[in-house]
Amino acid sequence: MVDIKKIVIAEDNSLLSSLLKFRLEKEGYKLLVAENGKDAIELIEQHQPELILTDIMMPFVSGLEVISHVRNKLNMLTPIIVFSAAGQEEIVLKAFNLGGTDFMSKPISPNELVIRIKRLLR
Amino acid sequence: MNNNQYFFEYLQNSPPIIELVWFMIGVSLLSILILIIYLKYLRTHLRSNEKIRETYQMKYELHLITYLYSGNEEETISPEQQTIIDELKKDLSDSFKRSIVVATLLKLKNEISGELDESIQKLYYQTGLINFSISKLRSRKWYVVAKGVRELTQFHIKEVHDEVITLINHPKNEVRKEMQLYLVNLFSFKGLDFLDVLQTPLSEWDQIQLLEVLQRFDDQQVFDIKPWLKSSNDSVVTFALKLADIYIQFQAKEDLIELLDHKSEKIRIELINVLGNLNIIEAKTILKNHFIERSQQEQIAFFKMMEKMPESDDESFLLEYIHHENFEIKLSALKILKMINSNTFNIQKHKGTEPDFVKIVEYLENN
Repeated sequence: MVDIKKIVIAEDNSLLSSLLKFRLEKEGYKLLVAENGKDAIELIEQHQPELILTDIMMPFVSGLEVISHVRNKLNMLTPIIVFSAAGQEEIVLKAFNLGGTDFMSKPISPNELVIRIKRLLR
Repeated sequence: MNNNQYFFEYLQNSPPIIELVWFMIGVSLLSILILIIYLKYLRTHLRSNEKIRETYQMKYELHLITYLYSGNEEETISPEQQTIIDELKKDLSDSFKRSIVVATLLKLKNEISGELDESIQKLYYQTGLINFSISKLRSRKWYVVAKGVRELTQFHIKEVHDEVITLINHPKNEVRKEMQLYLVNLFSFKGLDFLDVLQTPLSEWDQIQLLEVLQRFDDQQVFDIKPWLKSSNDSVVTFALKLADIYIQFQAKEDLIELLDHKSEKIRIELINVLGNLNIIEAKTILKNHFIERSQQEQIAFFKMMEKMPESDDESFLLEYIHHENFEIKLSALKILKMINSNTFNIQKHKGTEPDFVKIVEYLENN
């Protein structure tokens, strides 16, 4: 039986998260979608995913807080890819300091994202 | 019933002023009632509109994702894609639905790149949405025109350049701003050519927005600010000075120096600041020779410029101004003197007794 790897995606743009879900499910991953950081934390605690994708700017709980929670509260080593927008370079540095594994600047290329995910989950 | 009779009898027997007061109370209560009913209707209408919008948004989002992932290798339109295009085309005749389709496309277009971004662009053409955006340019309502230009910018439609450029001197600033952002977003520094013919003012906010867009491009050195420095439009000259400063346009040195005689004091002051940042020494000599003829603000700007490029030759000039009546000039003169020759500064510091002079010397010695 093939072990399906779980990925939590925290992204407040519902269309982008649906698109990435569609794309990554085609690659054989199971996607768990959260519209904000708060829901993402719940999904991470509940499902223990193999990878986390998170946007930085989100309502209620930001991407930085998600990273901090995963690394400091849950003590998980799960790889985290951060999505950032142009002009958020300083926040990206903060994300790396908190334990972010990789980052992608928006606009995102879904094909490139798939390559990065495959590399991290090898 | 008795109560009502009593009330009407009471009104009939009351003086006119009391009748008037009761009348006013009645009118006010009726107005409040009508207003409450109207607000309730408005709220219901907005909520139902929002619900309809959400429903259509979900429908179009699903259509878009299906369209993006149902393409075939040969780059032709697949039957599935054609069905979606036809369905969208049907809905586009309704402006409400059309606005939701445009918002849906943009919601994703700004977030993704590569093949999918190109596919969204194709869909914009295939559905004929582009024609709706272009037709907005011919509207009599200025806000429709501005919206049309913005859509063309967001979808990167370069081929309507000639039509958009005709809006260059549109009476409404909002339309002009959208036109300028269209040019710069799509044509980078080449888009700045509109400055050659711009007659209307370019506000400070417009300038900031243009600079913000320009900083995203790498081809920074392929523009020439010289014609803009000679513009009869002062705001264009000011913007050209900002470009000279940010993109270090040292090659425009001669033209910048010529501007020292510009009719606007604001521009001359800005220019002195830029000349200092670009370290153009020749300008320093010219300004020194005609220092007295300059306004006090220009003189202050010149001393700030000298602070950026201090030279030992400046000493005799500085000594003339260390006791100047203007505090800022005095402070700058003493500061530069201390930088270029501390011995002369130490000799001169004892020669002044005026309170401001003493304070400045104390400050400079401690910093």
